[in-house]
Amino acid sequence: MEIIQHLITGFEIALSLKNLLFCFMGVTLGTLIGVLPGIGPVTGVAILIPITFGLDATTAIITMAGVYYGAMYGGSTTSILLNVPGESSSVMTTLDGYQMALKGRAGPALGMAAISSFIAGTFSIIMLSWIAPVLADFAVAFGPPEYFALTFMGLTLVTGLAGDSLIKGIMSGVFGLLLACVGVDAISGSPRFIFGSIYLLDGVGFIGVAVGLFALAEVLVNIEEPLKQVFVNTKLSMKSLFPNRQDWKDSVGALWRGSILGFFVGVLPGAGATVASFLSYATEKKLSKHPEKFGTGVIEGVAGPEGANNSAAGGAMVPLLTLGIPGSGTTAVLMGALLIHGIRPGPLLFQEHPEVVWGLIASMYIGNVLLLILNLPLVGLWVSFLKVPYKILMPLIITISAVGVFATDNNIFDMWIMFGAGIVGYVMRKLDFPAAPVVLALVLGPMVERSLRQSLTISHGDISIFFTRPISAVLTTFALLSLFAPLVRKFWKTYRRAKME
Amino acid sequence: MRKADQITGIVMLVFSLIVAYTSWQMPQRVEFGPGMGFLPFWLAVLMAVLSVLLLFDATMRKSASAGKPFPTSQALRNVGMVIAGLGVYIAVLDTVGFAVSTVLYVVYLLAIVQNERWLKSAVISLLSTGGLYVVFQVLLEVKLPQNIFGF
Repeated sequence: MEIIQHLITGFEIALSLKNLLFCFMGVTLGTLIGVLPGIGPVTGVAILIPITFGLDATTAIITMAGVYYGAMYGGSTTSILLNVPGESSSVMTTLDGYQMALKGRAGPALGMAAISSFIAGTFSIIMLSWIAPVLADFAVAFGPPEYFALTFMGLTLVTGLAGDSLIKGIMSGVFGLLLACVGVDAISGSPRFIFGSIYLLDGVGFIGVAVGLFALAEVLVNIEEPLKQVFVNTKLSMKSLFPNRQDWKDSVGALWRGSILGFFVGVLPGAGATVASFLSYATEKKLSKHPEKFGTGVIEGVAGPEGANNSAAGGAMVPLLTLGIPGSGTTAVLMGALLIHGIRPGPLLFQEHPEVVWGLIASMYIGNVLLLILNLPLVGLWVSFLKVPYKILMPLIITISAVGVFATDNNIFDMWIMFGAGIVGYVMRKLDFPAAPVVLALVLGPMVERSLRQSLTISHGDISIFFTRPISAVLTTFALLSLFAPLVRKFWKTYRRAKME
Repeated sequence: MRKADQITGIVMLVFSLIVAYTSWQMPQRVEFGPGMGFLPFWLAVLMAVLSVLLLFDATMRKSASAGKPFPTSQALRNVGMVIAGLGVYIAVLDTVGFAVSTVLYVVYLLAIVQNERWLKSAVISLLSTGGLYVVFQVLLEVKLPQNIFGF
């Protein structure tokens, strides 16, 4: 019952007035970011790094994680009322949620979205509390070759799954790794690629890159064409939000399937909340007795994906905390934030900083309760935020980003990095290069390089070390296979098409 | 998209060759293992291969139309104005000070870039700059840049 004991300690930390307050702020901000189209969780977390910089690590990570899973709640509101997904993870919710709203059933749709988010979110945190320590114990014995294989696998999975083009995904990842090489080499202590600038000795600032690539680039894409918003006007009373008995009967199966599916998809690096909600919707449609009704406003089409994306957010914390492998852009930014606070996620985290891990996990239980309260009775409040035009939001996002980046180090050079990263990020979006692998590679880069060079030093330059140690062999093979998976899929498709003709 | 990918492929090929050349000059091997030029060199080689693949893939592609359309001139104007304004904002921040430059930049974004009414822009700008000041300077105790007059 060691875990119960850890959890109790965690709750003692999370229930302190300060942490409770910041958890509340995090989930509130997360809901807001989720509600507003055109600003996503990555942007929210990236902007919060500098703002929470002065806090202690536990409070900072509690706040930022709150934004992450809070956004999963908020995203559904916009999907249901506007037919515009607040986040990419709530795209599936637009299909049946908006149709329900058109039929005057916006209330139950919003209610079911919040309730299923809560149930699935809590389920995934329970899973996280039990699985994470076990996995961490297992990974403690990892040496440099295992670490290299692990980070390599994290990178290949994310680059393989991000975007449409495999070549472009890998190029993004390699570009991020090259960026990570800038600065003083950790092993020899000599500088490289600094172009005579003392500011680059510490490397390319992570915060500037993350805020530029996500927040600024997002603004630039959105400013091209003004967003059009069409409201479904509905009166929302507290009573109208509760799904009726039939709604429950329809949703229960979708909800538990979505929860389980979402958690395991979330654990897998590279997949995450969006894929989870996608899979859940597809599963429900397949299992349904009336698949033809999907897309016309069936409540299980809301319950399943909304449960799955919340469960995935909890699942994504597993590889981040236990292995130090973030599986998505948002968790990569979270990891960068932890590193800035001097905390290295990984198997040792549970021994070295139990207060951070268990404080965070406990805060997630509390955060989900807070979110349920925020999203059920107060849903009207969030709807009114949707009436703030993007025109006014845009200057706010830019100035908060710019001042925030400055504030971390009182350094204008970091603002220039953000500026450059913003332009690069915009061009990348236009050319269909995914941005997440860059940030992921920048965060993992130093670890990749250190473990690679240490491994090759151990083996006297023999590359077979990655294939002769069992764990590292499995991981490396899996990583290489995952790179070829899209190719196999492509060939399979052409093959099938050829056969059909 | 085809042309864009071809150009990207060429630009990235040149970039990776420069990186490869630079890192080749760094120590590739030290006494007990790979040196600091080792990883960047091989990354650059990989990047060069990928660039050639992208170039090849784009040239071989059947349809040229797939992908996002090129941004309209209106879109480019908006994006360019936001970026240019931000560049000026960062450049003058240290001498003009946080308060003045932020008020001006936000008014510029609202009134000039997005054709919002001047009065409304000015009010929003003053409020948001004030808000940022309270959050960062007062609550988070960050020393925001000041001009010679102290604001």
